[in-house]
Amino acid sequence: MDLETMLSYEWGAMMPEFIILGVVTLLSLLDLFLPKQYNRKSLAWIALAGIILAIITLISLFDLEVTSILHDTFRLDSFAKAFKLLLLVGAALVILLAESFSPKEGMAENRGEFYYLFLAALLGAMVMSSSGDLITLFVGLELLSISSYILAGFRKKNLASNESAMKYVINGGISTAITLFGMSYLYGLTGSTNLIEMSGTMSAVFDGQFQYLLGLAFFMILVGLSFKLASVPFHMWAPDVYQGSPTPVTAFLSVVSKTAGFIILLRIIISLFLMTPSDETGALTFLERNSDYIGFLAGITMVVGNVIALRQRNIKRMLAYSSIAHAGYILVAIAVLGYFTFDAVWFYLVAYLFMNLGALAVIQLITDKTGSEDISRFAGLYRTSPVLAVAMAIFILSLAGIPGTAGFIGKLTIFMGAFSADPGHYVLGSIMIGATVISYVYYFGIMTQMFFRPALPTEKLKVPGGIMFVLVLCIGGTVLFGLAPNIAFDFLHTNFGSFEDFLQ
Amino acid sequence: MMENAWIIPLFPLFSFLFLLLFGRKMKESSAYIGMMLTFVSLLYSLLVLFDRFTAPTYKAEATWLTIGDVQLTAGYEVNQLNALMLVIVSLVSFLVHMYSKGYMHGDERFPIFYAYLGLFTFAMLGLVISPNLLQLYFFWELVGLGSFLLIGFYFFKEEAKQAAKKAFIMTRIGDVGLLIGMILLFWQVGSFEYDEIFKAVSAGDISAGMITLTSLFIFVGAVGKSGQFPLHTWLPDAMEGPTPVSALIHAATMVAAGVYLVAAMFPLFSASDTAMLTVAVIGGFTAIFAASIGLVQKDIKRVLAYSTVSQLGYMMLALGSAGYAAGVFHLMTHAFFKALLFLAAGSVIHAVHTQNIEEMGGLWKKMRITGPLFLIGTLAISGVPFFSGFFSKDEILIATWEHGNFGLFWLALIAAFFTAFYMFRLFFMVFTGESKSNHSNTHESPGIMTIPMIVLGILAVISGYVNTPWFGTFLGDWLTEGNEALGHGHIEGPAWIMIAATAVSLAGILLAYLVYGKRSVSRDFLGGEASTMHSILYNKYFIDEIYQFTIVSITKAISLFLSFIDRFVVEGLIYAVTGVIRRLGKTGSAFQTGQVQQYGMAAFLGLAILLVIFVLTGGYIL
Repeated sequence: MDLETMLSYEWGAMMPEFIILGVVTLLSLLDLFLPKQYNRKSLAWIALAGIILAIITLISLFDLEVTSILHDTFRLDSFAKAFKLLLLVGAALVILLAESFSPKEGMAENRGEFYYLFLAALLGAMVMSSSGDLITLFVGLELLSISSYILAGFRKKNLASNESAMKYVINGGISTAITLFGMSYLYGLTGSTNLIEMSGTMSAVFDGQFQYLLGLAFFMILVGLSFKLASVPFHMWAPDVYQGSPTPVTAFLSVVSKTAGFIILLRIIISLFLMTPSDETGALTFLERNSDYIGFLAGITMVVGNVIALRQRNIKRMLAYSSIAHAGYILVAIAVLGYFTFDAVWFYLVAYLFMNLGALAVIQLITDKTGSEDISRFAGLYRTSPVLAVAMAIFILSLAGIPGTAGFIGKLTIFMGAFSADPGHYVLGSIMIGATVISYVYYFGIMTQMFFRPALPTEKLKVPGGIMFVLVLCIGGTVLFGLAPNIAFDFLHTNFGSFEDFLQ
Repeated sequence: MMENAWIIPLFPLFSFLFLLLFGRKMKESSAYIGMMLTFVSLLYSLLVLFDRFTAPTYKAEATWLTIGDVQLTAGYEVNQLNALMLVIVSLVSFLVHMYSKGYMHGDERFPIFYAYLGLFTFAMLGLVISPNLLQLYFFWELVGLGSFLLIGFYFFKEEAKQAAKKAFIMTRIGDVGLLIGMILLFWQVGSFEYDEIFKAVSAGDISAGMITLTSLFIFVGAVGKSGQFPLHTWLPDAMEGPTPVSALIHAATMVAAGVYLVAAMFPLFSASDTAMLTVAVIGGFTAIFAASIGLVQKDIKRVLAYSTVSQLGYMMLALGSAGYAAGVFHLMTHAFFKALLFLAAGSVIHAVHTQNIEEMGGLWKKMRITGPLFLIGTLAISGVPFFSGFFSKDEILIATWEHGNFGLFWLALIAAFFTAFYMFRLFFMVFTGESKSNHSNTHESPGIMTIPMIVLGILAVISGYVNTPWFGTFLGDWLTEGNEALGHGHIEGPAWIMIAATAVSLAGILLAYLVYGKRSVSRDFLGGEASTMHSILYNKYFIDEIYQFTIVSITKAISLFLSFIDRFVVEGLIYAVTGVIRRLGKTGSAFQTGQVQQYGMAAFLGLAILLVIFVLTGGYIL
């Protein structure tokens, strides 16, 4: 590649990534050279400014046609734009949480590292959402994963944090190996790593022998990626890791990292398996034929997540199981695979971002203050800090999917997708409804704690500015998209159409 | 006026928000805010009702959500049923707001109580003006939330907390049915609008099987909300809430929402004989089932709760027997007399500080206003001639007979006998005989509590006269006007039914008088408290216990089992390994590969299972 080709690329398409990369570099240098006594807390604002700048640049790129640079390894299409926006907004909120995070020990000395590792993880996720090649996809995935492993073990002297990082890294390694193994089959079949070329080769020829290999690759990739989604069968790490990690990292893992997982899953299975025929006539494509397997995993995920959550006393652990269940709901939308799949997944992730981050913000505040993560710490919250209790109630109602909240609309779109598909996925829809009902029990357990229990004798909680901002934004998002979901759907349709450029 | 109907639910909403924010400073003057705002709602509702007498149905809506080419709308509608419901809800709500000022006096969380009342009233008013199922579902859930908060208001009582949770989860089971029915209908019709659905039904666009299926699912929602068998067990427990709440939510409004839903979806139900029969049978069975439980309960509010369940069963029976007008008519009269009975019961409880009727007695002389009012309510619910309940119950019986449900007719008649008996048992035990309590200072309630009761007392007498076989069936004719799908406003029936109903209720009263009033017949004339029958009835046919032993314990077992695996098999290994490592003083918990194996194993196992299934189902053979 000579200089001329280098210059001829439309680098503007990668601007948001460059900005994040620049901020990462800047922060690491600052952290190195700033005097020791300087409080690293304020570096958060630089990180935040970088993310906001990246959001602005991304929005200015909305009008850009599909752009593909670096030999089609990096592509900026509607899908990338829509989901990158989610990643960035989620990351901005998590940075605010991290800024206000003040546990008893283990955060002060290397706070600076936290921010740039976090941004590096974000960069990995962004690259994933834009990649048009298995190699970039994998590099993005690893950048995200390795940074997250360190983040999970961030509180060096905290036993739980170390333990969770260790489990995370080992499980992550296994999952990467499985994914990579699956990808290698696909490379072997097609002789290319470029998604579009691969899809072309795979849909052009049909051979009964391929089915088996394709299946092997499909399932390996599905199972390997289920690690990032924290869905069955790769869900068991999540409760331990979510519980042990510092709360902002939990927020990052359960929202940003999960979103990234769905991005890569959609990218691979839609690009590669949607057009691949499953028999000679080509009436049914490979993905349509095997979408029941995704549905099967989705069903187990929802049930396992919600049922085990019933028994949890630790609030972060409970939320971990709840987040497993939510991954199951989103998988339903993917299994149903219709015209609305992208819309439904995107909207659910938006709703999930607001409600889950909001809930974690409240949890962070309370666990920091009381030093305990037991659910009884929420007792009588309504009496001591009514505003926090009402905020938490809104998030929980949304997580439970009560009408009037974004969570309800998210579930409704998925239900409607499941029931209106042809043939309808009644069983899956019913399992989803049933699982939702089970979830009321533990969600309302928290509500009972907050509203119907006498208060613990604690002093009034002071809400730091950063968390306050997160709460206001999350309440706004949850309620606004619950009452007027059209705002979000209109935004999606005006800017990204129906994602028709995904396969071009 | 009708085009402004959307504003009616907003006043209570404002009351809720205002009291939530400023309630603490307002203290007990919060009551005035709540009363004032619900009063405005009431005025508006009345104006809308009067408008609706002359003007046609008004409907307004706007696009709310577009998904693909599907458009969902939101709006409001004023038809006969809605207009009537608006008045019932806002009136009872206003009276309860007023009554609570006295009843809740001195409660620490007084403003919060009023805030919750506002939230509930908002949700209920919103529910009745919704023009489509989705919006109804929205408010349906909000109503459930309001009820949850109000039942659990005395959260320091363990029973109240349990009851709140039980009520929420039980009704949710019904809601799931509603949701499925709703989505199936949407799938068939492509719209949640009532009008569109009815149009599709009458045009024959939906298969007969689908109509039955969807209406049954929707009925499940109504069963949950209206406390019908087998989802009735939450309603008696809900009596743990403050008594005004019981009057508002668990007698007059929320529980009537299930009946309202069936009434609102009536053209769908009436298109399927199976669905109609199911509604009638469940209703009829619930009516007699709950009435028989009511015979032996000792808690004044529980007796009333079972009578509510039973009366709601009557309404369902009417709807299921094509007696649309009769069902709605009974919904209205019941709202008045049952709210009256609850408020009067509250007044009694307020005076004697117990809910056990065995500990009451001789209150007639001490409570000169409550006593006669309670008697009016009792006469009305027992179906004594010239009181409102008489006319509406009569319509129901005639509808049942004329529809050919003879078996259910006799059941309903027996239930009417039970009703008269247990209601007068209650009356005689509370108001006549010797005073059993030591409260020498038992006194009548203050005016702020008696005035709402007087208003309801008047309505409990006169509200029947809007629809009588003697002076004209205004209500029925008006309700069914311009819509053949709803059937006739009044169904002619044989005259002996009215006489039989009267005889049955008088017989019930007489028996109650002989046993509990005059005491000339032994209370144990049918076996006494030691008998098996008494024990079955007193324990409500052991339904709760059956649930406890089957569904709850199975769910618990599964949950325990999975949790067991997670907690002990997996976690146990973690703890074992960490323990060993700690004792050995090694490098800490960093090398805990032991338990992580389990996680990796799960993933590999999952992958293996998927691949095996894939191979077995023929991925290779094709």
